[in-house]
Amino acid sequence: MKVTCDREKLREGLAVVNNVIPARSTKPVLENVKLVAKDDCLELVGTDLEVAIRYKLMSHQQVASDDESSQGDTHGLVEIAEPGVAVVPARVALDFVKDLVGNTVTLETRENTLHIFSGPDTCELVTADSDEYPTVNQFDPEDSFGIQGGVFTRLVAQTAFAAAREAGRYAMHGVLMDLSDETLKLVATDGRRLALTSHPIPTTGYSHAPVIVPAKGMQLFCRVIDDPLAQIAFHFYENEIGMRAGNAEVFARLIDGEFPKYAAVIPSSTAEHMEADADLLTRKLRLVANVTGAEARAVRLSMKTGELVLAGHSAGRGEAHAEMEVEYKGDAAEIAFNPDYVLEGLRHCEKQTVALEFNDRLSPGKFTLGESYTYIVMPITVDTH
Amino acid sequence: MHESPLSILHVDMDAFYASVEVRDNPSLAGLPVCVGGPASGRGVISAASYEAREFGVHSAMPTSQARRLCPQLVLLPPDFDRYTETSRQIMEIFRRYTPLVEPLSLDEAFLDVSGCERLFGDAVAVGRRIKQDILAETGLVASVGVATSKFLAKLASDLDKPDGFRVIRAHEIRDVLDPLPVSKIFGVGERTAKRLEQLGVHTVRDLADKPRDEVAKEFGASGIWIHDLAHGIDTRRVTPRREEKSHGMERTFAEDIADRAELKLFLLQFCEEVAFGLRDKGLRGRTITLKARYSDFKTVTRTKTLDYPTNLGPRIFAVARDLLDRVKPGPLRLIGISVSGLLDVRAPIQETLFNGHHEGGSREDWLQTSKKLERVTGGIDKLRRKFGRDAVLPASLLGRERAKGLDGSDGKPGLE
Repeated sequence: MKVTCDREKLREGLAVVNNVIPARSTKPVLENVKLVAKDDCLELVGTDLEVAIRYKLMSHQQVASDDESSQGDTHGLVEIAEPGVAVVPARVALDFVKDLVGNTVTLETRENTLHIFSGPDTCELVTADSDEYPTVNQFDPEDSFGIQGGVFTRLVAQTAFAAAREAGRYAMHGVLMDLSDETLKLVATDGRRLALTSHPIPTTGYSHAPVIVPAKGMQLFCRVIDDPLAQIAFHFYENEIGMRAGNAEVFARLIDGEFPKYAAVIPSSTAEHMEADADLLTRKLRLVANVTGAEARAVRLSMKTGELVLAGHSAGRGEAHAEMEVEYKGDAAEIAFNPDYVLEGLRHCEKQTVALEFNDRLSPGKFTLGESYTYIVMPITVDTH
Repeated sequence: MHESPLSILHVDMDAFYASVEVRDNPSLAGLPVCVGGPASGRGVISAASYEAREFGVHSAMPTSQARRLCPQLVLLPPDFDRYTETSRQIMEIFRRYTPLVEPLSLDEAFLDVSGCERLFGDAVAVGRRIKQDILAETGLVASVGVATSKFLAKLASDLDKPDGFRVIRAHEIRDVLDPLPVSKIFGVGERTAKRLEQLGVHTVRDLADKPRDEVAKEFGASGIWIHDLAHGIDTRRVTPRREEKSHGMERTFAEDIADRAELKLFLLQFCEEVAFGLRDKGLRGRTITLKARYSDFKTVTRTKTLDYPTNLGPRIFAVARDLLDRVKPGPLRLIGISVSGLLDVRAPIQETLFNGHHEGGSREDWLQTSKKLERVTGGIDKLRRKFGRDAVLPASLLGRERAKGLDGSDGKPGLE
């Protein structure tokens, strides 16, 4: 193969692909990037077998015709002199291209090496057998559904933080993506709190059984979305999900597990209902949380008409008390939460006013953080079991 | 430099198990009596009377070897219920004098009697009274050490054993410590003693004379510790309830067991006992660990952490059974279960959304089952406390003998 490309664009592409490529792997071939020079583009391919990326630098002759995003500078990124394939160490390739000073870089394979030139400077990288490199999917634009990149990024931010991190609970290590009834729903939970958000998508009847996308895949999706206004597309494969944003295609292996039946834990009717200013509630919670210990962090919320009292204490440190005006009617009620969980949700609150509903101090607390954004937090209780 | 008040007592029962046996069967008096597992199999001695010790028999010795040393040995199977009962009586006596009682085992405890002088006299007087009370109320002999620190008090009770009463006053510390072999220092085991010997350190005096830096360089943090002790410095306080980290039970079988059904029955029994122990102490645990040792001594552990801390036998057993399934088949010489991540039952609990999710039920079902289990368990515990631990058993354990351990003990859960 022989290609010449814009140095900065190549650097950028290699940097994105290096996000996926493992620095060290039990399968050393995965530490490489696969460069594929086609008639119309240079592809940079990387994978760690969990997630994969195919990043395209389009040649100036053929700007992608089905590309809905308006990438004004796609002209002249790459000139393909001779199609071909090269598999080379990904970090070294990136570091070398990064430190070059010329505007363009030429890549050329000779025997078992890839030569990288830029002006008077050259580098020779040993190529690996390209047959050894795992196959990475091609994005299939048929049967895909689209959503605005910025909307998707927001939906992920609203949910992914609630996914489980601790070992075990494999099915909760990802975000559930449910496309049905012309709505895209994202759900994540670690078993103690749960975030659920949704966005209408005119899919013209296209729907798919819910899938669990690993948190890592979600992060990568968001990272390659560079234009929040442009549409991105998704396609479901048998055990993978593919996304295309601009000239990048990302594939994530789905988590094969049973996501907990989350619908059942969202209270449909609640006895207590409180509305509070989200910023003020955040400040008061933080204030009181300062005294709670590392173990058993709990802040007690006590409500009576028009008023919320927040209280926290710790055996070693002392106690704290805060009050604020809220919308609340009815008999006095109380419930205790881990303040960290509540604060994490409030950080993503879309509205000025947050609503908290619950039935009693043993039952889930339901926070409404946006028009179609719900956050469930399980309370902390004392001596009930 | 070291003017701590004389307020720490160490009380250690003399040949406790064996003495309880002799007390309850006076015809054994004067005979070499031992408590332990049978000489057949892999039994070991867990306690030896002073008469038996004359023959060189000591605890932890294989019973077969003890028999060789002393053919006329009177070997008795242990009866932990009786020892526990007696132990409770003794601990009660301690608590009459001070709330600061730190039991080390069934037959041994530290007491801090500072602050009770006006009621009962000084530490020496309290020590004398306790020794008398124990003899009068249980018929057993205790050795008592009185000193300014835990280390010295324990050393004191040991110096005069049996039937000892020894006081080490602040000004006597050097005279007592100096000539002792360095191995008498708490924390100096065989290996450390050997290394010290190579450095020319034989007695506590030798160690105390070494510059602190040098000992620290050679042994690290534990060097500082043993050097302090050699100077009689020990600032550890008597803490009535040691933080319990785990609660567990394990047994070495007389013969290896490969049959999984049989192993599960043992586990069921252990889980019930461990759970009972946790409830008795007002604790719950979150992490369950299974330990299995193969006939070649290779030991494996498997662990699972629950969403909810529990002290219910069936919940623990459900996990233990799954953990056993994750252990490769093969004859096992030991199996054990322990529960860690212990929390006071009054500690706040983070509620969870999907309890029983893995079993397919809803949270409500799970809570219901838990409530039922708790009610039933409460009732059973009452019966067990009143009529003995075998009064109520899971049906599959009916008619089974209690699992016997190496020392012939029945399954008493232990704390670490």
